[in-house]
Parts: sequence; C-alpha cells; structure tokens
Amino acid sequence: MNTQVLAGQAHATRAGRRWKAVAMALATVVFLVGSLAVAHGTLYFQSLVLVAAVFAILALSLDLVAGATGLYSLGHAGLFAFGAFGTTIISTDWHWNVFLILPVVVVGVGIIGLVLGALSLRVSGLYFAVTTFVFTLIVSVLASELSITGGPQGLIGPAFPSFPSGSFLGSSTSWCVMISLLGAIVVAWNIRSSSLYPVLLAIRDAEPFAASVGVRTSAVKVGIFGVSAGLAGLAGWAFSFLGVVSFGQFNWTVSVNILVMVIFGGINTGIGPIIGAAVISIFPAYVNISPLWQEVLFGLLFVVVIVLFPSGVVGLARLVGDRLYLLGDRLRTRGPVRAVPSVGLRISGEDSAGAVGEARLTASELANGVGEYHGDATRDSGGALAGTERESALEIARREPAVECHGIEFRYTANGADVLSGVDFVVAPGTIHGLIGPNGSGKSTLVDLIAGRRAPLAGTIKVNGHSVEGHGPERRAHYGLMRTFQSATLVDDLSVQQNVMIGLYTKVRHIALRAPAGPLLFGARRDRRLMEQRAGDVLAWVGAEGWRDLRVSGVPHGVQQLTQLAAAYSAGPITLILDEPLAGLSPGEAEHVAEMLRELRDAGVSVILIEHQTRFVFSLCDTVTVLSAGEVVTSGSPSEVYANTRVREVYLGQ
Amino acid sequence: MSDAGPPALEISSLYAGYGRYDVVRDVNLTVGRGEAVALLGPNGAGKSTVLRAIMGMLRHRRGSIRVDGVDLIGLPTHQIGRGHAALVPEGRRLFLDLSIEDNLILGALHLRRDKVRVDQLLASVYELFPQLEAYRLRPASALSGGQQQMVAIGRMMMSDPDIMLLDEPSLGLAPLAIDAVVEALLALRARGSALLVVEQRVDLAIRLCERVYVVTGGEIVVEETSSSLDVAGTDLIKAYLG
Amino acid sequence: MLQVLLSGIATGAIYGLVAMGFSVTFYVTRVINFAQGQLLTVAIMVAAAAAAAGWPLVIAMLVGIACAMLAGVVVYFLAVHPVLIFSRISYAWLVTTLGVAVALENGMALIWGTESRPFPPLLNGYNIRIGAATVTGEDILAVAVAIISVLAFELLRKRTLFGKLGVAVALDPEMAAAVGGNTTVMAVVAFVIGAFLAGVGGVLAGPTTFGNPYLGDTFGIDGFIALMIAGTDRPSAAMYGGMILGILEQGSIALINPEAGSWVPFLVVLVILLFMPKGLFSVGNPLERMTRRLVHLRQIET
Repeated sequence: MNTQVLAGQAHATRAGRRWKAVAMALATVVFLVGSLAVAHGTLYFQSLVLVAAVFAILALSLDLVAGATGLYSLGHAGLFAFGAFGTTIISTDWHWNVFLILPVVVVGVGIIGLVLGALSLRVSGLYFAVTTFVFTLIVSVLASELSITGGPQGLIGPAFPSFPSGSFLGSSTSWCVMISLLGAIVVAWNIRSSSLYPVLLAIRDAEPFAASVGVRTSAVKVGIFGVSAGLAGLAGWAFSFLGVVSFGQFNWTVSVNILVMVIFGGINTGIGPIIGAAVISIFPAYVNISPLWQEVLFGLLFVVVIVLFPSGVVGLARLVGDRLYLLGDRLRTRGPVRAVPSVGLRISGEDSAGAVGEARLTASELANGVGEYHGDATRDSGGALAGTERESALEIARREPAVECHGIEFRYTANGADVLSGVDFVVAPGTIHGLIGPNGSGKSTLVDLIAGRRAPLAGTIKVNGHSVEGHGPERRAHYGLMRTFQSATLVDDLSVQQNVMIGLYTKVRHIALRAPAGPLLFGARRDRRLMEQRAGDVLAWVGAEGWRDLRVSGVPHGVQQLTQLAAAYSAGPITLILDEPLAGLSPGEAEHVAEMLRELRDAGVSVILIEHQTRFVFSLCDTVTVLSAGEVVTSGSPSEVYANTRVREVYLGQ
Repeated sequence: MSDAGPPALEISSLYAGYGRYDVVRDVNLTVGRGEAVALLGPNGAGKSTVLRAIMGMLRHRRGSIRVDGVDLIGLPTHQIGRGHAALVPEGRRLFLDLSIEDNLILGALHLRRDKVRVDQLLASVYELFPQLEAYRLRPASALSGGQQQMVAIGRMMMSDPDIMLLDEPSLGLAPLAIDAVVEALLALRARGSALLVVEQRVDLAIRLCERVYVVTGGEIVVEETSSSLDVAGTDLIKAYLG
Repeated sequence: MLQVLLSGIATGAIYGLVAMGFSVTFYVTRVINFAQGQLLTVAIMVAAAAAAAGWPLVIAMLVGIACAMLAGVVVYFLAVHPVLIFSRISYAWLVTTLGVAVALENGMALIWGTESRPFPPLLNGYNIRIGAATVTGEDILAVAVAIISVLAFELLRKRTLFGKLGVAVALDPEMAAAVGGNTTVMAVVAFVIGAFLAGVGGVLAGPTTFGNPYLGDTFGIDGFIALMIAGTDRPSAAMYGGMILGILEQGSIALINPEAGSWVPFLVVLVILLFMPKGLFSVGNPLERMTRRLVHLRQIET
C-alpha cells in the first residue's frame, strides 16, 4: 500500500512555520524585484508579461471554483468582460478615479458572480458548465452589438495614472497589474490554507459527507463563486489599462483557454494556474511560425495536456520529487480507556417545553473545552457558560426520543414498489439501537430519510424532539444529528486529520468569511490550532492517531471507517447514525469500534447502527429493530429478537 | 446428466474488489456441467462481487476463472457476454425503453447472424414464459417486477451461455412471483443448464440447487450438498445472525 | 410573418442537423463533441474543392460527407476515447474536443486558405411563392433532408438491431456490454452518425455560406444552442430545436434589428436552461407535464 505524506500540508511544527514564513517573504521579494524588472522592460516584453499576469489572475480565480470546489465554470470570460468594460465605461463616461473604480468593479462583478452562481447551481454539473457557457456567449455577443461597449471595435481603455517623472519605479501600469496579481495570489493562497479549503474539497469529492456534518453546501458554492468572480473583475480592471477592450477578447474560447491554463499548470495546486497562464498565453511568442500553424499546434496542445499530463506541470514535478512512505505503525490496539471528551453541543431552537437552547459555541468557548482534554475528565470544569448550557442541552436531549418516525412511506418512482410502508421507528435517547434486515429491506433508505437525504412520501420524522420536515441534512446536523456512510465518503486527497476537521467546520464561527483574508486576521490561526488539536484528540480517542497526516486514499479501509466516525463525532452529535461502520474491519478493529460506541452511549449520545455483521449487533445494542421488505418485523431487546422465529424466517426463509 | 468435459465454471484463488480493498479473498468454487450451485450468505459478504468478477465488471481481480475451460480473466465484459456467461443482475436492469422482444433479442446479440438459432431460442423462452409472448411488443417499463424478472431470465437464456449467473433473483418480488421464478429456474435446470445462483434465502437456494457455498466476510465458510446442509443448525444461523 | 416562419424553418433545418449530430453522440457517449461544427466545415471544404476540381456536384458532396465521417472517427480516437476510459478531470472532453476543433479548423485554413471559396449552387434560381413568402429550392431541399433524417434515424433506432443496441448502450452501458455489445464500437458509430449529419448539413448550407474554414464556429454554436433548446433526451427532438432556433433567429432579425438574431436566441436558451434545464422536449419536463394535465382535464370534462 502506498501512502504519501501531503506536501505542504504536514503537521505544522514551530520550525516548519518559521521556514514557511521565510519562504513566503523571500517569494514576495522575488516577485517585487521581478515586477521592477518588468516595469523597466521593453514594451513588447511588458505586453507579454502583463497579459500573462492578467490571465494568471483569471486562472487562479477559476482554479478556486473548478479545482477546489469542482464547479467547471465556462463563464469566467464573461465575468472578465464585465470587469474590463465596466472599468472602461465608468472611467470614460463618468470620469471616476481608477482607484475608486476598483472596489466598485470587484464588488460589482462579485455580485454578478453570486447571481450567476446561484442560478446555475440549480442544475447539476454538466448543465452548470453549459449555463455559464451561455452566459459568456450572451455577454460577448452583446458586447459586440451594443454601442456602449463600442460595438465590434471596442473601447479604448483608461490610462493608469503614471508615477511622477524621474521615479525609479518605471511603468505604473506594469506595477498596477503586477500588484493586482500579487493581491490575487494572496487571496487564493489564503483560501487554500484556511479551514475552508478542506470543506471545498469535500463539496467537490464527497458532498453528502459535507452536508451530513452541517455544511451548507449551496451557500458555500455560491459564496466561493462570488469570490472567484470578484477576482475575475479585478483581472478585468487591470486588463483595461493595457489598451483596447473589445468583445473578441471575451468570447467562449477564452473561457476554455483559462481552463486549459489551469489544467496545464496543474489543477488545484497553488502555483499551477500561474505557470499555466504564463506558458499558454505566451505560447504565440515562442512558437514563432505562421499563425495558422500556431493555432493547429495550440489545439493539439490541449489534447496532449489532458490526455498525457492531466496533473499538469506541478503534478509531474510532484511525481518526480515524491517519496513513497511505507506503512508506519499498524493501527494502535486499544490503549487505556480514555474518557470521552466533552462535546461542544450546538443546538438551536427549543424543545417541546418551550425552553430556549441557542447554545452556539464561539471559538473561545471551544477553547475552554480544550482545556479539559488533559487526563480523564468526564465532566468539564470549563467556562461557566459552556458548562451549564451544555448540561441543559444534554438533559433536553434526554427527554425526547433521539429519533421518532411514524407511518413512513417511501418509494423511488411513482409506480414503483413500496420501499418502506407504514414504518414506525423510535430510538430512545442514550441507547445504541441496531437496525438490521436482509438485503433490500429498506434499512439504508430509512436512514437516508432520517438523515434528510430524501423525503418520505408520508409520515413524520422527529430528530431530538424537533420536527425536521423539509430540512436537508445540513439543517438536521444543526439539531445534533450526524451520520456516516456505507462506502467511506471522504476526501481522498486530504489527510485523515483534515477530513476530521471538516466535521469541525460548523463549530467555529465565520470560517468562510475570514478565509480570503486568511491568517492575517487575528484569531484565525488560533482557531486553526484549536481545530487541529481537537481533531487530533478525537482521532486519538478513535485510535487512528497514527494515521493522522496520511492521505485518506492510502490508509486501510478500517482506518477510513474510523476517520468517518471521528469526523462525525467531532461535529458534536447528540444522535449518531452509523451505516455499516464495521464493514471491512478485522475482528480486533471491530471490537475496538464497538468499545467506542459503548463509551459514546455512556456519555449520552444516541447511536443508530446499521450492520450486517450481526454478531456485533446482538452484543452491542440495547434495542434492535428488524426490517424486511419495507416493513418492521419486530423491535425489542437483542435476546428477544434473536429468539424471534419470524426473524429467522425472514433471514433464512423458513 | 453431465457430459464429459471441463466444468461449467471453475474459480480458483479469486481475489477481487473495487479498488481500495479486496471484498472477496481466496475464493474457490466449482459448478459442474449441468449443475446448479448456490452462493449463500448475508449481505455484504461478497456474493455479488463474485458474479461481477466472472462477468469482467471489476477492474481489480486476480486468480483464475474458467468457464468451460476458457480463462475469463483478461477478457472484457462484452466478450464474456458472447456465450461464455450471462447474468441476471440484481434489480433486473432491463433496457426499459425497449420492448420485451427487443430485450430478448439483444440477449442473443452474438448469435444474430444465425437467424434460425435465434428463433429457436426465442421460441424456447416463450415456451417457458407464455405470458411474455402475449406482451412481447410492450415496453419493458410497463411490466411488474416479477414479469421483468422473467424477461431478464429470458434475456440470459437467449445468450445460450456456458454458465448462467443469477444475482438474488427473488429480491423485491412478491411471493407468487418468487414461485414463478423458482419454477422457471427448475425448468432451466431440467434442460441441463449450469447455474450459479446468489441468494440470501436459504430455503429457495436449497430448492433450486444441488450444492451450496456459504460466503461470509468475503470468504467461503461452508461447502455442502443441499441435502446434507443442516438448515436449522447453528453454523448456518451463526453465519447469518452471528 | 409567414416568411419568417418559412425562412426560419429552412435555416433551422441545417441547425437541426448539426444539433441531431450533437445529440446522437451525446446520447450514446455522454460527451458533447465540440468539434461538431468543424466536421460540417470539412464536408463543405472538401466538396467545394472537389467541385472546383471538376468533379460532378453530387459526387463532390458525397466525398465531402465521407471525409466528414472519417474526421469524426479521428475526433473520437484522438479526443474522446483516451479520456472516456479514465480522467481525473470531470469534463476533460470539453477541452480535448475543442482542441481538435481548433486544430481541424486551422488545418483546413492551411490547406485551403482563409478566404471563402465558391460553392456550387444546388438548385439555382428555383423559387416558389407561398402566399406572401418566397422559398428557394435549396430551402425546400434542406427541409426535405431534415425530415428524411429524422425519419431515417427513428427507423434506425426502432427497427434495426443495431439501433436498439445503441439505445441499450445509452440506457445501461454495463448491461449492454454484458449482453455482448462492444461499447467502443458503438461510440465510434455514434460519432460517425453525428459526423454524417453534420456533413449533410454542411453541403446543404454550402451554397449560401460558401466554403470558409471558420464556418464551424458559428454553426457549432448554433447547433449546440438548438440542442439545449430541445434537450438531450431524444435525438430526434434536436431537429425541432433547430427549427425553433431558426424561427427565433429570423423573427428577431425581422422584428427587432439585424443584430438581434445573434443574442435573442442565447437569451431564450438561458431562460430555458434556468427553468427547464433538460430542454423543451425532454422526458417529463414541465411543458410536457402541463400539456398532459390539460389533456387529462379535457378528458375529465368530456
């Protein structure tokens, strides 16, 4: 089995962080020196570099949505057009100062992006690309027709104010573009190194997982699209100073070119888009043959890049430089019994008695909770607010059944067979409740209904006392309901710890809002450290600490199951649904998981367990419900169920 | 009953999975010529995986799978489906927009040049399932679950394969439909076809097949003839209920 | 108005052929072939060159279409097959087919130059008056070919084993393989059919557009828009999408201004995408549901 330590995402030690800071400072200096060189270069040289820089901004912005979030937008040329034309028209017609126009254009195009994103995201993947594609078509056609955009000839862009004569800085336009690029790099880098980044990857690769821990995936997608659009607007602003702005520069092939730049350089890498933009946009300059041959080669380049080098330049470099690490420790066997860390509960709304329970933990309160993790504290001694709120929340949860379903009916198609009919399913709080039945009995469907992935045709569902009709998995997560999936739905490209941290996303305030500004904001780094520590603690409790920094794609299936469990647990569930958590585990590993579930139960968490390894079910569960052909066969204590002849009939067909 | 010749199906040391880990490990099983064999076991044990491995639908498989002496490992699915093996998959998976007869005829795709043989096969399917002949031009989507299962079995028959594979043929069917399916499969057995049937229900498996293998956790734990299988015995119950 | 309708249907016939080509390849392979417009151009350029070299017109057109079909096979193996098997990037074919399109287009410009070449007329000067409107012989030919294509395609799909296998591959490629269908062969055939349709559209359009290697850009977009209007569920519906597009285009030129023909259709498509993303003729779309409800209501009343 190969495992690879994630480059650049390894556990940050003090020394490691210092090295990073030095490297970043050095890179910035190099960038500024390079900008100076460009500012003093020949016009030809400048035109090459500056156009490449503008496209680098565009490529960075597209990589945020396509590479990190999986939204393949073909609309960025249109957004770029809005930025460039907007700047030119406002400057020429309204005579605003160009620096004043900058925030207007960035925010304006950002808003257009929010709208476009919100509209396009109503449809799935391919149609999203198609809708953004049509958007660009419309924009470029309108740009060629309307007089305000100068028709086919276009407009002459505004002049960027130059430095006072005699300044050593050289061309001010050049500096404008390069600083804009620097700004875009900073924003993109901030987002990549923020706690939002794993969430974006989760939305790309494992959206059900993200939703199940409470991430509002639609909001995040629209939000990141808006940020990306803002960057495209910035690119347009900078581009307008380079000369003419006309419709031909913003057609749909430009959108595809930007995508190719991203892929060529290396999709979803930090510097890949910049490399790609540089190489692709300067292509005509060094391939100095007849323009038609250039185009032919350009087209074939697209094909070659995708087919032979889908990981791009950066990917190739990584392949060459990577070391393969063999497995380190085996999964650690059960150590001394660790007390369950107190869970930062977060419930909103009220229980049926009308008591208010908006107990939202800020990062500082989470910090209070962290203080308790040393030793074996079973009850917290942390901040007064945290303590009392959490007690009452737990008691509230204790009064209501963890899950209450009545009269559930469901079928997949209008004329199809009933998958579930007349199902009543009640889970008492603080118990482990097993759900078993032969294949096709409807267990997974029932769980999907409880978790909010699907809606029943009839019947009511209550979670922790709250009626959850019409609420998706994200909302139900806020009522304290988390789940795992049968096939470990995790982000392969991230480490075990990073996957667990996705579960913490909703527990720390404003991660998404702070992400673009990044570590510059105080508190962000501290919150990050707290999240890492918390994730590490949960992983240690689960027993997977030894795999913390390894990529999920390289760890054994059993460890992936534990990672899922840790992620769901770190989100602070009151009720936890586990869909076949023991699949693929060795007997020792399975016993270890069973032990943890008992600990959870003892701490007050309700656990619903779907499992086929029925030997565990009967020894672990307090109650067992048997489903067959969409109906409940029986429900009761394990011994009752085991001895029930109907159950044996259902399984063995006697 | 059996002719001389290699077994209909011979699997040795099969390891197969979906990429990250092996779902089935070191599976060895045989289906003799004209024999009906059942693969029993709880869900998730890997039974369907074995069938998919035979049909070449898994990328990750190693070991040996021989049908009528021909090694199937290394052959793409569409070649396996040309007379070596045919599958009635879980959930039937008919081509719903096409008519019953079209679904059947597609089953005999690799025989299309031999019109006489195709007609003969079609006639034998309709003989077994007269109901289908009455509805032969109806789209498959208009049928009930049980009827669709008949079509799926017919499609498999049309392929005239060396080994017939069925994945949980009783799943999701009403009791009457299940009876009809069992009758049909018994008729197939009577005609000398070799069958490998994956089933969760022990009673059906014993009715249909002469021998059973029980799979749990990706490995074969029991191999018995149906008559000597101790159904109420603790071994079997343990395999299912733990 | 009648003129708008008739001219729209005539130009729409060509768009519809291109759209059907898109639709057939998408139906079977789930790939939108962005080089479709260029395949149309191949047919035009080859036919024009052959005609200029003195070949009889019909032969030249057939050769053009044949070359388009050949180019379709090349597009498949160059741009689609390698990425269908495995690609980390979701819409890799978007980029590869476009890359081939660019290469093809400029390749043709290299061979035949960037200037438009004459294309021999088909049914020259053969006009009919219908009421207040005039249609040319070429218009009628285009519509006739369009109708024949739809009929032929439906015949293929419903009556031949081959067509049924194509439907099977579209519905469930794994089971189609399990019954012995070679999905790669089917994909190639889908591309050849798509190229054939594009080629036919090309030689029909040739007399009006003349032979220019960059025609593929506009025809490709138009065909794609027509496809999005109709939806990808039923290839034959793409023809109706084309005609709707043609009418929209002619209508907006007549009613607004000559440039409106470019952007009005895009706007309409955007609206359709937002409210009926699967197109006007998809299975179970709101329009269909509405009409079915109306019909049902009518039945209750009577």
